[in-house]
Amino acid sequence: MTAAKLEVFGIGMQFEGLAALADVDMSVPAGEIRGVIGPNGAGKTTLFNCLTGFYRPTSGEIRLNGERVDGLQTHELSALGVSRTFQNIRLFSTMTAVENVLVGRHRHARAGGAEVARPIRPSGNRLRDLALQLPRIPAAAREGWVELAGAIARPPAVRRADEQAIASAHTLLATVGLAGRDNVVARNLPYGDQRRLEIARALATEPGLLLLDEPTAGMNPQESLSMVSLIRRVRDELGTTIVLIEHQMRVVMGVCEYITVLDYGRKIAEGTPLEIQRDSRVIEAYLGTRAVSGGGHGAA
Amino acid sequence: MRERLNAARRAFAKKRGAIPRGGEPLVLFGLLMLVPQVSYFDNPWLVMFFLVGLYAVLGFGLNVVVGFAGLLDLGYVAFFAAGAYALAILSSYGSPLHINLSFWLVIPMAVGIGALIGVLLGLPVLPLRGDYLAIVTLGFGEIIRIVLTNSEGLTNGAQGISAISTPSIVVRDIGLDKEVWYYFIVIAAFAVAIVTMRLRDARVGRAWEAIREDEDVAAAMGIDVVRYKLMAFATGAAIGAFGGAIYASFYGFINPSAFSLQVSIDVLAVVIIGGMGSIRGVVFGAFILKGIPELLQFKETADLLERLGWLRDGINRLVDGVNTLTAAHIGDLPPADTWGQEIADRRFIIFGALLVAIMILRPAGLFPSRRRQLEFAGAHEADDG
Repeated sequence: MTAAKLEVFGIGMQFEGLAALADVDMSVPAGEIRGVIGPNGAGKTTLFNCLTGFYRPTSGEIRLNGERVDGLQTHELSALGVSRTFQNIRLFSTMTAVENVLVGRHRHARAGGAEVARPIRPSGNRLRDLALQLPRIPAAAREGWVELAGAIARPPAVRRADEQAIASAHTLLATVGLAGRDNVVARNLPYGDQRRLEIARALATEPGLLLLDEPTAGMNPQESLSMVSLIRRVRDELGTTIVLIEHQMRVVMGVCEYITVLDYGRKIAEGTPLEIQRDSRVIEAYLGTRAVSGGGHGAA
Repeated sequence: MRERLNAARRAFAKKRGAIPRGGEPLVLFGLLMLVPQVSYFDNPWLVMFFLVGLYAVLGFGLNVVVGFAGLLDLGYVAFFAAGAYALAILSSYGSPLHINLSFWLVIPMAVGIGALIGVLLGLPVLPLRGDYLAIVTLGFGEIIRIVLTNSEGLTNGAQGISAISTPSIVVRDIGLDKEVWYYFIVIAAFAVAIVTMRLRDARVGRAWEAIREDEDVAAAMGIDVVRYKLMAFATGAAIGAFGGAIYASFYGFINPSAFSLQVSIDVLAVVIIGGMGSIRGVVFGAFILKGIPELLQFKETADLLERLGWLRDGINRLVDGVNTLTAAHIGDLPPADTWGQEIADRRFIIFGALLVAIMILRPAGLFPSRRRQLEFAGAHEADDG
C-alpha cells in the first residue's frame, strides 16, 4: 500500500469530565516519520486509540488521504491501511511468531484476493445507520458461507492463498530481523524480538499509516539503535507513513522528521527536532516552570 | 541458515495439515470399525458407544464455539433441539404437518436451520462482550423447550413426535439395527472431526484464535470480529443440529423433556474435561461423560467384579485382624456378587468424584491443545514477560 496522508482537525476525547484530548490539530504528509511526545498522561496513546477506532473521538475530524474516517470501526480502519503496535506488547502470546504475522495477513489471505474496503461512516442516527447496513447482509452472509465451505473443501484457490500468506509471513519476519525464529512461540521470544514481531504483524496488514506506540520502551541503547534503523528501513523500503510515540529523546531526535508535542491533551508545540529541543513550552512541560526545583517528569 | 529455515517451514506445514501426523486417527477409525465384530459387545454396549459418538459430535460442534472462538455458549441444547425437531417434523409418519421426506434430504435442511437459528440468536448478542452471551444463550436454551411444549400445532407439544424416519443405506433401512447405527455414528463423528480440524487450520480458524486471545488486537489486524464470532456460532449450531437430527432418528421418538439444560451442561463438560480446543479431548470427554456411567451399570462390569471374591475375602480378613487387635468395629465388605449393583447404584457419585479428580489433576482437561496448555501454564506461573 502506498503511504497515506493523515490529517486531524480539532480532535477531542472526553471521558466523563476528563478531557484526554482537546482540540488537537495535526497534519502528517505521506511518507513522513512523525514523532508524538509529551509527559505521561498527555494523551498520546488516546490519540492512537482514536486513530485506530478503539475510541470514537467526541469531537473533531480525522481524514486519511482526504477522506473522513473518524467513527469507523477498528477493522475497517485496518482495511483502509491503518495499523498499529501497542505500548504494552499485545502479541497473541501462545501463537508462534509466524502465526502472529499470519493473523496480520488476514485480509490478504482471503482466497480470491483481499476484499475491497467500503466502510460506511456512521451518521449518529442509529436507525439510519442500521438501514444503510441492511443491504450488505446478503453479501456478508455469502462471504461467510464461502469462507467456511472453502476451509472445509480446500479448493486450490484457498490452498494457494494460504501458501502465499505463509510465504509472505516468513518474508516479513526476515525483514524485521526474526529469520529463523518463525516457529518460536511469541511469549518465549526475548523482549526486543517481541517488539519486532509486533511490527512485523502490523506490517502484514500492508498499512499506509503505521502507528508505533513506544517501540523502544524498555530497550537498552544498542537495541534502541537497531530499532531506529528498522523504523527508517520500513519507511524507505515499504513507503509507509509512520507516527510514533516515544519517550527516549535520543530516538525521537534521531528518527523523527517532525515532532508534535502534547501536554494535558493539548498540542503545545510542533516542529523539527531542532526547534522542539529549543522550545520553551516543551521544556516547561517536561521540567516544570521552575526547572531548578526539580519537580518535573525529567524525561528529557 | 537456509536449511534451518526450510526445516522450520516443513514443521509448520506439517502442523497445519488437515490430518495430524502419524495416521493415529486412521488406526483409531479402523479399530472402531471392528468393534461390532467382537461378539462380546452386544446391543447395550453398542448403544453406549452410540451415545459416546453422539456426544463426541456435539462436543466437536461446541468446541468450535467455546474452544476455538472462546465464546461461552450455555444453551447449546437449543440447536440440538432444533435439529431433532427439524427431522421429526419433516421426516416422520408422526409428523403433525404430515410431511415425510427422506432422512438424507432433511439432514442438510436440519443443518441449515440450525445455522440460521445460530445466526439469528447471535446477531443481537455477539457484538457484546463476555458474560452477556452466556446469559442470553442460557435463557434461549430454556425458552426453546417451552416454545416446543407450547406450539402444539407444530410439535405435538408435550406428547412429542414418534415414528421418526431412519436413514436407509444402500436400499436397506437401518431401523433398529444397533450395529449399523454404530457404524453410522462413527463415520459421522469422524466426518465432523475432520471438518472442525480443517476449519481450525484455515484462515477462519486463525481469526477465531486471534479473537479468543485478544479481541481488540484481532480487530486492529483487520478481522471483522462480529462476523467471525457469528461464523463460529453458526458452525457450532449447525453441528449441534446435525447431532440432534441423528438423536431423533436413533430413538424414533422425541418430546420437549429430552431437551433440558442438562444437555447443554453435559456437552460443555465434554469439551472442558477433554481439554478445550482439542479434538482428541472431545472424544475422551464424551467417553468419560456418557460412557463411564453406562459402563458402571453393565452386567459385564458386575460379572467382572464378582470374580474379585478373593480380594473381598482378603480385605475382610485384614479388617477382622484390625478389629481384634484394636477392638475397633469396622464392618465387613458385602459379598462380591453384589458389588456390581452397589456400584451401579452409586455410579453418579463415582462419576462426580472422577470429574473432580480430573479437574484437580489436569486443570486444562485431559488432552489440552498445545495452546491451552500454554495458556494454563501462563496462568499458574508468574509471567516472565
